[in-house]
Amino acid sequence: MKLRTLGSVIALGVGLVAGAAMAEYPERPINMIIPYGAGGATDISARTIAEALGTAAGTPLIMANVTGAGGATGSVAVQNAKPDGYTMLFARVGSHSVNPAMKATLPYTLDDFRFVTVYEINPVACAVRPDSGIESMDDLVAKVAEGGVSYSSSGVGSLLHLAGAMVLKEFGVENPLTEATHIPQQGGGAAATAVLNGTATFICTNTSALANFVANNQLKALMVTTEEPVVGFDAPTANELGKPRLNALVGWTGIAGPAGLPDDVSAKWGDWITEAAQDAKFAETMSSMGSVIDVMSPDEAIAFINNQYSVFRALVDELGMRIEG
Amino acid sequence: MSLMDSLAAGLSLVGNVEAFLMLFIGLVVGVVAGAIPGLSATMAVALTLPFTFAMTPINAILLLLGVYKGGIFGGSIPAILIKTPGTPASSATILDGHPMAERGEAGRALGMALYASCTADAVSNLALILFAGWLASFALNFGPPEFFALILFSLTIIAGVSGESLLRGALSALAGLLLATIGLDLVYGTNRFTFGDPNMMGGLNFIAVLIGLFAIPEIIAMAWNPVAHLGRTRALGKSRCTFADYAKSFKSIIRGSLIGVFLGSIPGIGAAPSAFLSYSEARRTSKNKANFGKGEIEGVAASEAGNNGVAGATLIPLLALGVPGDVITAIIIGAFMVHGLQPGPMMFILNVDIIYGLFIGLIVSSVFLLVVGSVAIRGFRFVADVPKRILMPGVLVLCIYGVFAVNNNIFDVGVMFVMGWVGYIMMRNRIPAAPFLIAFILGPLLEDNFRQSMLMSGSDPSILFRGPITWFFWALTAITVFAITRSTLRKTVPLS
Amino acid sequence: MSQKSLHLRLGIVASLFALFLVLYAIPSFVFAPSNVGNIILSPKFWPFVLAGLTGIVGLSLIFNAMTAASDAPFEDEEDVHPEGSAPWMRLGALAVIMMITMVALPRLGMVWTTMLAFAACAFLFRTRHPKAALVCAVVVPLLLYAFFAHVAGVAVPQGDFVRLP
Repeated sequence: MKLRTLGSVIALGVGLVAGAAMAEYPERPINMIIPYGAGGATDISARTIAEALGTAAGTPLIMANVTGAGGATGSVAVQNAKPDGYTMLFARVGSHSVNPAMKATLPYTLDDFRFVTVYEINPVACAVRPDSGIESMDDLVAKVAEGGVSYSSSGVGSLLHLAGAMVLKEFGVENPLTEATHIPQQGGGAAATAVLNGTATFICTNTSALANFVANNQLKALMVTTEEPVVGFDAPTANELGKPRLNALVGWTGIAGPAGLPDDVSAKWGDWITEAAQDAKFAETMSSMGSVIDVMSPDEAIAFINNQYSVFRALVDELGMRIEG
Repeated sequence: MSLMDSLAAGLSLVGNVEAFLMLFIGLVVGVVAGAIPGLSATMAVALTLPFTFAMTPINAILLLLGVYKGGIFGGSIPAILIKTPGTPASSATILDGHPMAERGEAGRALGMALYASCTADAVSNLALILFAGWLASFALNFGPPEFFALILFSLTIIAGVSGESLLRGALSALAGLLLATIGLDLVYGTNRFTFGDPNMMGGLNFIAVLIGLFAIPEIIAMAWNPVAHLGRTRALGKSRCTFADYAKSFKSIIRGSLIGVFLGSIPGIGAAPSAFLSYSEARRTSKNKANFGKGEIEGVAASEAGNNGVAGATLIPLLALGVPGDVITAIIIGAFMVHGLQPGPMMFILNVDIIYGLFIGLIVSSVFLLVVGSVAIRGFRFVADVPKRILMPGVLVLCIYGVFAVNNNIFDVGVMFVMGWVGYIMMRNRIPAAPFLIAFILGPLLEDNFRQSMLMSGSDPSILFRGPITWFFWALTAITVFAITRSTLRKTVPLS
Repeated sequence: MSQKSLHLRLGIVASLFALFLVLYAIPSFVFAPSNVGNIILSPKFWPFVLAGLTGIVGLSLIFNAMTAASDAPFEDEEDVHPEGSAPWMRLGALAVIMMITMVALPRLGMVWTTMLAFAACAFLFRTRHPKAALVCAVVVPLLLYAFFAHVAGVAVPQGDFVRLP
């Protein structure tokens, strides 16, 4: 048995090498790199869509978490991979719009990747402790003027880091970097805990990370950044507060390949993702996690990300948040 | 709802074969995964998660908890047999477990590891059930200054695992602390010792450093002298752990369990420091102090009690506050949320049946662990009988696969090799590896919490003494440092 | 070797390393932004503290070697190695095996590379069971591949030449 398997294995391997040039994509499993840790929001989202995507593509997707440096380690692995469509990346707001906007030291730029889709949007909410005496964004801004306000994030260059500064800036705080203190934590869970135990005053992050705290009355939501209200969050939207520019402040997950990805591969991914998003189980899991499914075509995705990048970049340059060293 | 009603509601949820079957499967998967280096308990739980989406919530969570608990015990099997911890939490088990296996007492060490694990697991589960609410509100008092004081105290463990010379232990710890600074700075995001390599930006992978430091030096030592092991009695792994062994170590096991419960209920510390703390406490109070590190069975018992005591207790902040204590519970929170459950105080009111179902499942899990573990030991302990010159290349290959699997990155395999040579040089120069490892774990925590405290207070150091918890740990640190200094000065050869 | 000479050696190495860190490595490889408000928040602060402590421990080791450390050789010290320079050759060979492994992993793929590494190590250790070692060298990597790739779902590197299913 073992020998026969080995024999067929070698035969198959030789056959694959010989036929690689002419066979149609995809003719072997595709490596999907998740640049964040197992069990995180990106990971759950990626693994949920993987099954449906695999069915649509007709080949298994092999998921690989490559974590480190706020998503940079995994992103670099894809940046340097052969652009043959067999190594793709689950890109996230942190790794592909906040990080490029904030870090001059980042080993990649947006131009090193070719996006094939963005498939989910995560609304962002800001929250404080219910006993903090802060009832609204205006209260928060008033408190900033008094001094001693801080916000937690999952690290420098994370969405949470930028979101805290951006929200304060939009609500009229002249220089959020000096008037409020940024207290980075190791990871999103620790960031929420920091507000819970009083280390930081407020947090702005994906609603999915806050949902259970808000439901349990451990945290109070002050606003959400989307146009539409978010279920479970009894808080005004950015538009109701007259700050529509904050609509750009949302999380997302998409799929990208290295820059030289051929057009036909990109087009195929566009088709697969449309098909996969129809999957009922995927839709159910995503909405229970608080995400909005919004499948974009390759062109829409590129436009969406570039727009968000330029908004973030403008803010970073205005506030002098860019990290050079 | 009264307690009896809650219990009945819980029973009705778990009172079916399927729930217990899931728990059992979870334990088996966990023990096997834990026994394979590189496939840590964390990875096993993460890989199991997608399978649970289709199950009922209670089955899903029991399955994941089974994998978690099994994984923490399973890690001790390779730690004892081939000096390669299957999971970071079992690195303390190496210190005495592996010397025992070298003496031909693999069966005895594994048996003790299992009994200590099950006892600690039971203690931990009881603590969860009885004190969840109280411990959770206590845990929320831990901000960065309290963490800083706690971790500073934990660093005194280094004295306990330094072996024959405190100075060489301190040197080892400093090397670990320095190595842990590699990566992106927490507060400013700038590069520290990354040399422009994107792979270094995330810091060195913990598992790669761990395996490199403990397993690879053995392989290198084999190249130095391939026949060194031949003269020694390396009898078959037939020895067993007796009741007398268990009774002798019972005090250490209970102490280790309580340390585990305490550290487990505070988010962000994890099982490895707990195991080391338990180990050093057992050593400090033992009559056979000199024998620790050379194959003392009480050391195995204390380490395993320390890390398994954490397993039940990490559920305290999870259930009572919705706060994950470590990576594994973060994944388990994901499972709760996928099923529309929101862990936190309200869960004790809204989903009390699930909570009590979980409690019942947890109590049963300690018993199941005993059964699964005994079978696993029987299966694995004959690894000790494989000819060593074939076993070692096998360990090398296993380490390559395992370290790669942790983060799917070939760079980590290189880190493991380099750390292997560092570990070998340390071994040749009689520098103990355990302080290095403890410092590598605790160093970033110490620095991060210090700087977070400074951010909170606007660089006013008095925040480090802001409340009774910090005072308590500062006092404990002072007493320990005093005791260490006095005992070293008293020795005939000072500071050695 | 005695404790005295060991501590003297370690102390000198540690002190020199601390100097190297303070004078060269930290200034060149740890980057701090120009707008750091307080020195204790700087990314360089903690590395400097550690370098300082390393220096102190190094000096203490030297001091200890000068004063208190015993001059008697360690009891469990191995005697002069009977094989002369052969052990050093084997260490070198193992280092070369590891380097070749690193180069070959992405190109040959993990399975084939580890097979070669296993066989090379087994013969380097002069095993008494060469046939069993060869069988293991083929079987162990294949079994591990089957487990990691198909049970654990890990993307094991396949290399450019022969792919496994």
